[in-house]
Amino acid sequence: MRIEFATRGNRIGRVGRLMSSKTPSLCRTGVASVLVSMGLAISIGTGAIADDHLSGDITMIKGPHSADEHRFEQMIIDDFADVAPNVSVNFTTYDWANMNAQLTTGFASGNPADVLYLVDLIYPNYIEGRALHDMSALVADPDWAGERAAIAPFAWDLATSDEGVWGVPVLGAVYNIFINKDLLEAAGVADTWQNSYADMLDAAKKTTAGDVYGFAARTRTADFAFWDWLPYVHNAGADLLNDDWSGCGLAGAGAATQHLIDLHQAGVTPAVGSMGTQEPFDLFKAGKIAILHGETPQINELLANPPAFDWDVAMAPPGEKGQTVMGNFGILSIAEASENKDAAWAFIQHWASGPQVGRFAEQVSLQVVREDIVGDLFADNPAMSKIQTEFVPRVKGIQPHPQILKVLQSIWPVAEEAYRGNLTGEETIGKMCEIIDGIVG
Amino acid sequence: MNSGNRIAEAEHRRLKASYKRRRNIVALIFLLPNLVFFLGFLLLPVISLFWQTFHDGGVLSPMRFVGLENWRKTFADPLVLTTIRNTIVYSLIAIPAVFLLAMIVALAMRTAQHGRSFFKAVIYFPTLQPVLIAALMWTFVLHPDFGALNLVIRIFTGEPVNFLGDPNLALPTIAMVEVWKGLGFWALLFFAGLAALPTEIFQAAELDGAGPVRRFFQHALPLMKPTFFFSVIFATIVNLQLFDSVFVLTDGGPSNATATATWYVYRSLFTFNEPGFGATLAFVLVAVVLVLTAVQTILLKGGGK
Repeated sequence: MRIEFATRGNRIGRVGRLMSSKTPSLCRTGVASVLVSMGLAISIGTGAIADDHLSGDITMIKGPHSADEHRFEQMIIDDFADVAPNVSVNFTTYDWANMNAQLTTGFASGNPADVLYLVDLIYPNYIEGRALHDMSALVADPDWAGERAAIAPFAWDLATSDEGVWGVPVLGAVYNIFINKDLLEAAGVADTWQNSYADMLDAAKKTTAGDVYGFAARTRTADFAFWDWLPYVHNAGADLLNDDWSGCGLAGAGAATQHLIDLHQAGVTPAVGSMGTQEPFDLFKAGKIAILHGETPQINELLANPPAFDWDVAMAPPGEKGQTVMGNFGILSIAEASENKDAAWAFIQHWASGPQVGRFAEQVSLQVVREDIVGDLFADNPAMSKIQTEFVPRVKGIQPHPQILKVLQSIWPVAEEAYRGNLTGEETIGKMCEIIDGIVG
Repeated sequence: MNSGNRIAEAEHRRLKASYKRRRNIVALIFLLPNLVFFLGFLLLPVISLFWQTFHDGGVLSPMRFVGLENWRKTFADPLVLTTIRNTIVYSLIAIPAVFLLAMIVALAMRTAQHGRSFFKAVIYFPTLQPVLIAALMWTFVLHPDFGALNLVIRIFTGEPVNFLGDPNLALPTIAMVEVWKGLGFWALLFFAGLAALPTEIFQAAELDGAGPVRRFFQHALPLMKPTFFFSVIFATIVNLQLFDSVFVLTDGGPSNATATATWYVYRSLFTFNEPGFGATLAFVLVAVVLVLTAVQTILLKGGGK
């Protein structure tokens, strides 16, 4: 099963247009963000029809996409009070690095959160364990048909398996490259670095000088370093699993992996294993890295504190079989053990609505999977606008196999070895395939 | 007289048996609270865990009998061997190092004439640190770019040392952090052991012309054998369960160089949601601990003879 992220047109609904007209910019400052959000909240709140029949307490759990996650979620919850005034929503977070442990513990307790934001890396596991409520009947409600149609079909495919619909797709997260245009121009490679892997390596070498690194990508398992490796794999026409998910699908990714090994062996990167996610980004902000693999939420940091150089977002150079971008997707699910599924469903409908999810996506710099609001988002944020319009159609996600997290975390130590120069690209893929076949074979 | 004596003996035996019975009942009553905890929080979970080794699921999905599949996977998984090897290597680094340093500190404290209480408090501070705080502190010491230690190293070598990112250095670095954390505890334990030794023997040895080194090796060390016996067994059991600093500092990396047995148990149970496999790993760890403890007990007791 191959999952492609492709927008299908730019149908803009009434609510989407309303939101875009009242959403002047991505929140450049906290004050602006609050004012804009308050304005939206008023416009959304006054238009809602309150449902007095719903009552009780529900809990939502989600990984944070921003340091202001609780504040942004509270805006959504406050607006929900107009929709269901008798429902109280408690919001809590899990941390990304230990999300599986924390969510599993919640399910094992028999009292998990009612509404769960789950990413494609882990939710297949919970679907297999039947910990999630089958929402087929809920999403098929004729009254919600318009909303359902606004969400891209590929996203519904992600949330559908084993003859059930296990959540409402809401967000996408793209892994982009940040470039320091000044450094690339000074090295004379600004127009060529993205032509091929060889040009990328050449640019990294030419921009490396003193304490400036030409290239940096994450290297550690704990930092989900595989996200920065996967676009090169996909560009080679390979994937983690084969077509029927019965074994390794990495054949053909040797040369792409060798490219990353070469980069790490060329003396143009920080020492392998020495940095996590934030440290290289801090170096980038200080003008010390020319080409950096990162994530779109980091764009907010660059906008809030503009660096003293020109920067842009980019994707990895094309490979043998194409030029893809790595992306994750998040769905909102209801726990099977929830005792207030009606209220949970009402809150998910509210959260996934165009104005709410659109505002949140702009606040945290993430992508949406609703096609009706895509065109109006990020109007004053060229980087995010570029990602939404140029990158998102090229996004290729992971295969949502129940053991995909185990696959990724088990094979990554092999890549770490390779980045240190102890394995060739082909040897790396061979060892990874042994591990993958042992897990899913 | 004889008849009277016989009756008295029988009565004595009855009274003795009654006394023993009463004494055992009293002892059992006092032991009962601990027995409840032992059964409820140790024996029953261990039995349940053993039962789990023959099953799959049980957390998200219903438990399913899989026979010896988990045991087969455990012995087929190369990472299991890696984690056991890492755990033993770590213990071989950390235990001798902390014992040596703790003994030096304990001797220094025993010899010190002034500030002994202050020194004892200071040396115990690291043991009181939460692991997360300790890990953050050491990150600021060891980091290749901004770590304090690396700033000093750069002055002399020009190149930073990637302590936690280099597979050859990561495990010894974790051991160093653990030694730092445990030093206060072991130093105070050894200090208490030294303080309990009879001073007459050392005075006599000194009068006979024995120097400090000879007094330590020929008198203090042999007399502290019970303390060492406890320490070696206890330290082995504790160190073979190394988890928290690995979890916080390296999460098993780089390249599984710091992947320990307990870390893999946690990862299997919670991250990969494989309770049966995790339970089997836990049992393997228990077996390794038991075997090593038994070997140490035999060796140490043999040494005593």
